[in-house]
Amino acid sequence: MTVLHDIEWEACLLEPTRDPALERFVRQEMGGVPPIVPYFEVCPWVVRSLMAINQYRVRLVHVSFALADLIGLVVSQENSCRFCYATQRVLLRAQGLPERRIRQLEDDFVAAQLDPGERAALEFARRISRCSPRPSGADRATLRHAGWSEEAVKELAFVATAHVYFNLVATIPALPVQRLERLSGNWLLGVFAPLIGRRIRAHQVRGDRQPLPPELRSGPYAGLVQSLDGLPAALALRRVLDEAWQSPQLPARAKALVFAVVARGVGCPRSEAEAKRLLEALAMNSAEIEEALAHLGSGSLDALEAMVVPFARETVRYRPVQVQRRARQLSGALGPAQLVELIGVSALANAVSRLCLAVESP
Amino acid sequence: MTPVAWVVVSALSVLLVALLAALLRAGRRAGRLRERLDTASAELERLEHAFARFAPHAVVEEVIARGVSTQGERKEVTVLFADLVGFTPLTERVDPALLVRILNGYFERMSRAISEHQGHISTLIGDGILALFGAIEPNPWQSNDALHAALAMRAALADYNRELTADGLPMLAVGVGLHRGVGVAGLVGSQDLVQFTVVGSAVNIAARVQDLTRAHGVDILATEPVRAALDPRFSLQALPPASLRGIAEPVQIWAVQDFVPAHVALPTG
Repeated sequence: MTVLHDIEWEACLLEPTRDPALERFVRQEMGGVPPIVPYFEVCPWVVRSLMAINQYRVRLVHVSFALADLIGLVVSQENSCRFCYATQRVLLRAQGLPERRIRQLEDDFVAAQLDPGERAALEFARRISRCSPRPSGADRATLRHAGWSEEAVKELAFVATAHVYFNLVATIPALPVQRLERLSGNWLLGVFAPLIGRRIRAHQVRGDRQPLPPELRSGPYAGLVQSLDGLPAALALRRVLDEAWQSPQLPARAKALVFAVVARGVGCPRSEAEAKRLLEALAMNSAEIEEALAHLGSGSLDALEAMVVPFARETVRYRPVQVQRRARQLSGALGPAQLVELIGVSALANAVSRLCLAVESP
Repeated sequence: MTPVAWVVVSALSVLLVALLAALLRAGRRAGRLRERLDTASAELERLEHAFARFAPHAVVEEVIARGVSTQGERKEVTVLFADLVGFTPLTERVDPALLVRILNGYFERMSRAISEHQGHISTLIGDGILALFGAIEPNPWQSNDALHAALAMRAALADYNRELTADGLPMLAVGVGLHRGVGVAGLVGSQDLVQFTVVGSAVNIAARVQDLTRAHGVDILATEPVRAALDPRFSLQALPPASLRGIAEPVQIWAVQDFVPAHVALPTG
């Protein structure tokens, strides 16, 4: 069915837990509790983030839901995230896309007879997830040439980086994939597509442009969030960043270090500068920061920081089994809530640095 | 029904059955072809994934699309060159099958040590290994990675030597040279054999520094550009500058001792 079956994948690192209040909230918002939610309930902001930047809930203005789903498929395939890849396949098949069409899209955008705008959008998404070479102004110019407005390009970048986020949140703890993979190849999905598709489409509500309220114009990565001003995505990103920063499981300095390391690994100077600004505000001087970033360790780091800094680097390039093994090594030293928060923060740092490159790099 | 009508109906029925059979056959043939195409396409994607570990995505895609890649790029890379010490005499006194087994065990362990530290093996030259760090994807920590890989190779070889000794086989010794510099990265070779590698003086210097390990009686040597980018927690010992064939200025070299997780200052030599 898919070559991602061959990708090595560890046993799941997380134990499901139950938080009735959180599940009630999820049920109200989503109409049910998706099976992945219990794995992250020990750290509620991660659960809320999965809903907040989900393409069905973020109220897209420019990007069609069909294209957003294809971006999800392409980014997950690119990142070898077996969990999200199977999820995207299930979503596409449940909405009536035949298996053959999905295979065409996986194989070759040209053969899949996409229009030039869609093709350019998928290439852009692929470039954002790879970051080698890094996305740049030239990519944005290509998209403009293909008919996308400047604001639409930003929304495309947001959708692609949201999938980068989902991919890492699923890959690092090696969420169980077998059931989903079996389901994604099940012919019954095609039979029930009209029913399931209608239910999925009920959640797809398009948004309108809306300015960022003044109270949401500050906080970590305020510049990046403001560059999305006008898009509902800006609000969603602001809320996720604020929740991640306010969560008490990991100290703020450890989180800022994760953002700084990932920014350096991805090669995003703007994101790195913002992470350094945050670290300086947390009483770390520039020499200490530079030493930690240059060598992924330093005498100025405490024991927790000395563990999370090298781990953050492992999340930059997608080598699923490698990052899963490193996460397992850390799991003995961190509590379950700390571990889930570290997974969420690392994923968010990757999404933010890639988004920064995609929308701001010259 | 008249006999003529019977004949017409029978003929039409036979035609219909024949048509259905032909359609069924064509459908089966199309199904088999589609299956083959799907298999081929899955195989291609599997290959693309596999090759992405040995060359950048853009190069792999160009090869798939056009059969060749002429992309070349100047890149700053850290080169690790490893060679077995005293291996040639061993080839003359050990049974060939045994020698191949020993060598494969060695390559297996060295390859694991290199890939676990974000490096990739560009080529094996006899018993030598040319590994690159920062060639496939940008890597700001390439020199640290290369040194960690070299230390992991040292540890892996020590383990392997214990196994060899237990089996009554000769032990191996390795010399490793590391240098950081700019080279041209791309697919190099003939139509029959190509490899993604880096060419330029950076590779030559790493190979020549590796030669110096014998003269200094050490196993890992690194040049100044590597040291300059290195984590101070690596413990190094400065050696006298060395003249290398083809290089105008003497090269400052450092013997690599260890990595001490506790913060220590670099010796100034």
